[in-house]
Amino acid sequence: MSDQDSNCGCGPVSRRSFLADTGMGFTGLVLGAMSFRDGIARAESTPAGPQSGPHLPQRAKSVIWIFLCGGVSHVESFDIKTELTKYGGKSIEETPYKEFLDEKRINKNLVGVNPGHYQRKQLMALNTGFKKYGECGLEVGDWFQNIGECADDLAVVRSLWTCHNDHGTQLTWHTGRHPREGSFPTIGSWATYGLGAINQNLPDYVVLGVPTGDCCGGEWTHGAGYLGPQYAGVRLNVGAANPLPFVTPPNGQILPEEQAGEFSLLGKLNTLSGIEYPDDKSLRARIKSYELAFGMQSAVPEVLSLQTETAETQNLYGMDQATTKPFGQLCLSARRLVERGVRFVQIFHGGGGGGAWDAHGDIKNNHTNLSAQVDKPIAGLLKDLKRRGLLDETLVVWGTEFGRTPAAQGTGRDHHPQGFCSWLAGGGIKGGVTHGATDELGFFATENPHYVTDIHATVLHQLGLDPQALEVPGRRRLDIDIGKPIREIIA
Amino acid sequence: MNLRIAFLHVIALLLAMPVLAEERVDYLKDIKPILTERCVACHGALKQKGGLRLDTAARAIKGGTAGAAIVPGNVDASLLLKRITTTDEAIRMPPEGPPLQAGQIELLRRWVEQKAEAPADERAERDYRDHWAFKPLVRPDLPKVARAEWNVHPIDAFVGVEHESHGLTPRPEASRTVLLRRVTLDLIGLPPTPEELHDFLNDASPNAYEKVVDRLLSNPHYGERWGRHWMDVWRYSDWAGWTDGKQIRDSQPHIWRWRDWIIESLNADKPYDQMLTEMLAADELYPADAGALRATGFLARNYKMLSRETWMQDTVNHTTQAFLGLTIGCARCHDHMYDAISQDEFYRLRAIFEPHQVRLDRVPTEADTTKDGLARVYDADLAVVTYPFRKGDDRDPDKDRPLTPGVLKLIGEIPYDVKPIPLPAEAYYPALQPHFQQQVLAASELELKQAEAESQKLATDLATAMKTAATVLDAATADAARVRVTLAERIAAAAKLRVESVKARIAADQAKYANPIPANANDLAIAAGNAERQATFAQAEIEVIKLELKRVAAILALKGDDPKLKQAVTDAEKALADATQKRDAANKACTEQTPNYTAVGPSYPKESSGRRAALARWITDRRNPLTARVAANQIWLRHFGQPLVPTVLDFGQNGQPPTHPKLLDWLAIELMEPATSGVKPWSMKHLHRLVVTSRTYRMASTPDEKNLAADPDNRWIWRVPSRRMEAELVRDGILYVAGKLDLSFGGPDIDYALGLTVNRRSLYFRHAQEKQMEFLKMFDCAAVTECYQRKESIVPQQALALANSELTLVQARIIARKLHETTANDNAAFVNAAFERVLSRTATSEELQVSAGFLNQQQQTLIATADRLKQNTGAVNETAKPSADPVLRSRENLIHVLLNHNDFVTIR
Repeated sequence: MSDQDSNCGCGPVSRRSFLADTGMGFTGLVLGAMSFRDGIARAESTPAGPQSGPHLPQRAKSVIWIFLCGGVSHVESFDIKTELTKYGGKSIEETPYKEFLDEKRINKNLVGVNPGHYQRKQLMALNTGFKKYGECGLEVGDWFQNIGECADDLAVVRSLWTCHNDHGTQLTWHTGRHPREGSFPTIGSWATYGLGAINQNLPDYVVLGVPTGDCCGGEWTHGAGYLGPQYAGVRLNVGAANPLPFVTPPNGQILPEEQAGEFSLLGKLNTLSGIEYPDDKSLRARIKSYELAFGMQSAVPEVLSLQTETAETQNLYGMDQATTKPFGQLCLSARRLVERGVRFVQIFHGGGGGGAWDAHGDIKNNHTNLSAQVDKPIAGLLKDLKRRGLLDETLVVWGTEFGRTPAAQGTGRDHHPQGFCSWLAGGGIKGGVTHGATDELGFFATENPHYVTDIHATVLHQLGLDPQALEVPGRRRLDIDIGKPIREIIA
Repeated sequence: MNLRIAFLHVIALLLAMPVLAEERVDYLKDIKPILTERCVACHGALKQKGGLRLDTAARAIKGGTAGAAIVPGNVDASLLLKRITTTDEAIRMPPEGPPLQAGQIELLRRWVEQKAEAPADERAERDYRDHWAFKPLVRPDLPKVARAEWNVHPIDAFVGVEHESHGLTPRPEASRTVLLRRVTLDLIGLPPTPEELHDFLNDASPNAYEKVVDRLLSNPHYGERWGRHWMDVWRYSDWAGWTDGKQIRDSQPHIWRWRDWIIESLNADKPYDQMLTEMLAADELYPADAGALRATGFLARNYKMLSRETWMQDTVNHTTQAFLGLTIGCARCHDHMYDAISQDEFYRLRAIFEPHQVRLDRVPTEADTTKDGLARVYDADLAVVTYPFRKGDDRDPDKDRPLTPGVLKLIGEIPYDVKPIPLPAEAYYPALQPHFQQQVLAASELELKQAEAESQKLATDLATAMKTAATVLDAATADAARVRVTLAERIAAAAKLRVESVKARIAADQAKYANPIPANANDLAIAAGNAERQATFAQAEIEVIKLELKRVAAILALKGDDPKLKQAVTDAEKALADATQKRDAANKACTEQTPNYTAVGPSYPKESSGRRAALARWITDRRNPLTARVAANQIWLRHFGQPLVPTVLDFGQNGQPPTHPKLLDWLAIELMEPATSGVKPWSMKHLHRLVVTSRTYRMASTPDEKNLAADPDNRWIWRVPSRRMEAELVRDGILYVAGKLDLSFGGPDIDYALGLTVNRRSLYFRHAQEKQMEFLKMFDCAAVTECYQRKESIVPQQALALANSELTLVQARIIARKLHETTANDNAAFVNAAFERVLSRTATSEELQVSAGFLNQQQQTLIATADRLKQNTGAVNETAKPSADPVLRSRENLIHVLLNHNDFVTIR
């Protein structure tokens, strides 16, 4: 036994090639930190495997996925139902729609009904006005009048349904599965699993805002399930001193030039020890990962430096108003992230507990206050993306876990999984269209009903991904897990 | 090309098309894949619905009970075509999933039209009994290898023979340095110290390596290292739920006792079959052994507040996956698609677990089970019936078909005999346990002590007040004080009666549950009843006094006609009347003389179903072909980072076969029936020793160009693959090389938020859904819901965590200072010491040169920034502030770099 095993059967050629392959690391460090779209880095560090996409023509490069936690009233936002005002205060039994109360029909798609939530009988009049917007004449509730101005860019899907009546459906919206079934890959993780990164100095999949509470999926709503943690969403704290764990050394304990010296030595030592292992992909990936980490130290704070935006842009997102500023910051950060090549940005609003939008009581106040926080920033995001030409390659999805009951629960509305709505914009989606419908009361998804995974399938389709091509051996999925693209809204 | 020629081309194309369309269909290429994918699950070896098999063309032509599925040359008469094209969804095939695509139907149609030709020697789908994993385990003969040195150790013979047949040259033995680090990390999860390195390098004896192996296998950190491995497989999870612990949603509080049981059992080399048995059924087989009961954390861990359904499913799925390597979850809704597991069998397995529940028993050190306790399982409902759910829908149980507990037929004829198990009294009535009795008694005695002290204090206060000349008590105040004293005396008296009552009830319990029951049992029960009734009466009297005082106070508070105050008097009178009634009843009861008394603690069923004990016997039966194979594969995976059966959680027909089937069988047999004398059956340490002393394990991990070209994935194990350390090893290693790792064993789970400040080993920190250390998560720590094999991601966040966390920065300084003291101004000596300390190896001359150069250059850089160096020293950690001295600071930097070195996180 010799101490230094130099008995490496791979002559000087491999040695030299290894040095050549990795030697660029030292200088590449600084270059990597400056160049955002590091296409070569990707090709080199990514082994064949998961990142097999795109498989189809790609219509969108990035996704901004906005999720309002708690359940937004569909009948007062993007699926206006005037019959509710007409029959407001009356029991459904006294209206022409009394057959809607058929228990069998109500429970048809529900699994594991939570008896705490059920269909109330006394209809509640609309709590907000509404208007027609754009050339398409989309009816939008006054709570979302800023988004209404973007009507001609929206494709509203009015016929969604989900299969539980509790807030576990916040997870269902992201994975197709309820928390009691466990953790499965989220739509964001599928996207990054299929496509990989554009920008290696930033995470592929970024999460902004306060995510769902522990009860409703918690970290699972931005996790990756069996795809593994490298495909999970990375939370960035907008406005915080340390937006990503360990992104900067604690309390300036190490000087920039000191760290540069360290990273340079590290690159050299790793390369030296790699001479014996010229085929070691992990070593190469690790050397690369240090270059990327070095870049992230500046790229992450840079992308969140919102003050570098013009006042006009900041105002477009409502950052000049206290009410809209917090969510405006998230929306503007999202634009900056996709602009720099982040694949999937997930923005949560009202996370924690059952979710802020969960208006069991006083829905009028609840939705008035909350919509005031998000309406302008979301509209600002759409307008800003559009004027920068980014909307063509960025798919924006607006969603919530379920709708709210047409009937009253005191001064509020209860959970309503049988029919609700969402909208998509940009990324090769038709503008100014509505697809599917609920009945006159907004009760059941009647025309072209879609389970929530159809939204996932649509997103993957626009990203150029074929879900079948992403299948993981031993993890057979059901058709309903994969969903079907909603072709009618694809441009 | 002129127009005419172009035209001719078009004509030719048009003419060619029909010919193309009628091109011969290739059965093997075009037809068989369709049938295999969509039909054979129900019409093949596994099942023959309608008596039909479609796994060969001949069988399709032969047909089933409804006649020929295929009539060669006659599409219209071919039943198969009819059934796949019909618009009647009730009878259209296949019944699940989308209908066949038009193109597929067209191919089938043309194939039938073309006389349904197929190779004459087409082989039928194999019977599942021929599947390698279900075949009985027989000790394989050792193969003969041409390379003589590969014939010495049986493992090497099995591996070496594959080298030869694939033209591979095994890598030479790794250097001693590499080997020592590999085996030390592998067996105890900590890197070797410089002292251990020198000892090994200087040991010239021929068995130097074997001595190291013996030392490591008897080191108790082995239990922690391999305990964490098995915690992955057995899905260890601390409790999850609301942060304050008031609502437990998953797993159980104090389940760390199961973790400690795992560690202790491994260190004691408790046989694997015994470990499985205790985890599944310690409450049935060792009901009075609190140590063994901890093992049932394996089942208690599946607790799910939100859904008993998921709880049951997880229990069934993961018991079969962890112990048998079978994924049977799909059989919840329908018969298994690949393995001969029926839907009913899923529910029969479920029935084994149906009666069980979890509970928290008291432990000797703590009476309050929310603070500490023993999380365990027990059979709570022996009458519960299991029904299969139609299509797996728990809202739709098939109540006409209750299913008895049972096991899987595909494993062969191993008996599953269920016999109900009577339990000892202290198991079904834990209040008989001495510590339980002591705690109850101590609680009542404490109450008495407090009541007496209170009564004493009030009496003294009153006496002092009366005696003090300066204080003249008016009559009313004095009366009120006297009433308070009397009341306190009564309370103390009642507390005393309660102590007596507890004593009497415990004495009565002892007699009641004794075997044989002593003659005075009834007398003791009557005495206990009397004592309790007296205590109850005394307490009832106190209530009456208290309410009388309240009534008086209410009357005194009356002001004019205030209806609220009047109502208060009425309410007080009513309450007093009720209490008086209760007191009178209690008084009357005192004359009863009956043997009825309140139990000291909760009771559980006196018998357990025996279903889980029977399951444990069935799983660990020598004839079970899966158990030992699955265990051997898990162990091999963790020694090599590469399993023998690539699908570690699926040994069924949808899984992949082992690369070295005979090696796997040999290891499995050697686990169950070791050939070495003096080794007990199912000894895991025996298997570890066999593996790590093999030549195979001792090979270098360096590449070889020819081997790489022939076998890039190292499928035939021509080298030991390099791998990244698991998350726990990274964190523990950083602390350990700095001499700062707290090496104490066991105990309650530590808050995961303290991971960077509390220096215990990583496996002792809380690990549950949403309760995991950030640092560990970055390095792919076990997913709590399922982790049969760790992932090895490499992401920039890991680099950030190592480069920028206080953990590495602080430990780097601690190490640098230690080494700085002994190496003075000798940079080379410092570099060498640093490499030995952090990477457990010496530096090469190139590394020495580069590192020493770095120290010089970094010192210059630091001198140039001297002002800012000082500014930065005010930072957080007082014990290890960054040094303002450029020499020491540069050395801190070097150590910090080595902690970030790829070799630090890599096992070669």
